[in-house]
Amino acid sequence: MVLYHHMLTHLQHLTSRRLLAIVLLGHLSWLSAAERPFRGPYIENDDLLVILVPRSPEQMAAFYEARGFPREAIERIGQTCFVTVFIENRSADVTWLELDEWRFTGNGKPLPRLDAAYWQGQWDEIDLRQASRSTFGWTQLPPVRDLQPGETVGGNLVFPGDTETLNIEARFRTGADRHGDLITFGFGSIGCNRTAQKP
Amino acid sequence: MKTIACIACTLLLVVFMPAGAAADLPAGIMRVAATPAPALQLDNLDGEPYNLADTHGHWRFVHFWASWCGPCRREMPGIQQMLTRLGDTDLEIVLVNTAESEEEIFTFLAAVAPDLVPLLDSDGLVTEAWQPRGLPATFLVDPQGRIQYQALGGRTWEQPPYLAFLQGLAGAATATPAGNR
Repeated sequence: MVLYHHMLTHLQHLTSRRLLAIVLLGHLSWLSAAERPFRGPYIENDDLLVILVPRSPEQMAAFYEARGFPREAIERIGQTCFVTVFIENRSADVTWLELDEWRFTGNGKPLPRLDAAYWQGQWDEIDLRQASRSTFGWTQLPPVRDLQPGETVGGNLVFPGDTETLNIEARFRTGADRHGDLITFGFGSIGCNRTAQKP
Repeated sequence: MKTIACIACTLLLVVFMPAGAAADLPAGIMRVAATPAPALQLDNLDGEPYNLADTHGHWRFVHFWASWCGPCRREMPGIQQMLTRLGDTDLEIVLVNTAESEEEIFTFLAAVAPDLVPLLDSDGLVTEAWQPRGLPATFLVDPQGRIQYQALGGRTWEQPPYLAFLQGLAGAATATPAGNR
């Protein structure tokens, strides 16, 4: 109910724009794990499918260790919070993934996303080899993508390690010129790090 | 009046038809504004050098992938089948592995696509220069060295619509399997 209220409040702020609102709950808590079609919170309709999968530090460490990342890199990765995102554009129009349009909050405050510039600084400090930088980069959700009809995109969002739970307010502009309907929705109380859901 | 309406409808369809939505393109194949392909000069898994610029004169299927990427893993057996089914089609298959070790590449390909010999983009910089929309990524480069089409994500290349499309591009010319088979 809290999330509904949040969504409706948000929609009221957007009434001046053409708005295609998808007011759906990110949590499907009334379904058992076996009944859920995806491993994490998701939103699905005729235009979009968005799935979030919170990751534990152990999962991320295992993934990057298996790709030859050095201990110093694994330690830095383990101090952060990873959420894997999958998006499918099911509409007949271009849908824009633009992470600068999204809002991330935790404990009622804006939450910074640890973006490519942050990681470049981290990798420079430990002189991480180029191959690992490349692999890490390809595992991140791209900051901008003009999702074509039927196209999918996936990758990780990363947040500071002291994040316990986070809220994600996602906005997708549509149309090749970005002037189509605006799709907006929110996910609440996404678990992070040690509170993350196990796969 | 009916004729005018038909012309207007046709014009609307032409004006608003999105890139890649042409009826003769298989799903997920996007026509792009022709641009010169970036440089691609790498050694393959057998240590043999390859330079895309030396292979002008026929279409090239340039595919970027990594074994940690789920869609890449699902797509690769289909590429192996595609190669078999295309037979003597004059289409060069160029696989580029992004930033993995030879051991990782060999372990994966030996199980799913043993006939494929990829190029090694060991530091990932060639991949970045091509600016794929993600991994996997496939570009179709024309005989003059221009990118003409891009595939959106993984595709079932072994299926008839894709085979017919690729055969149509390449024509029924002589076989040129080039350095990556």
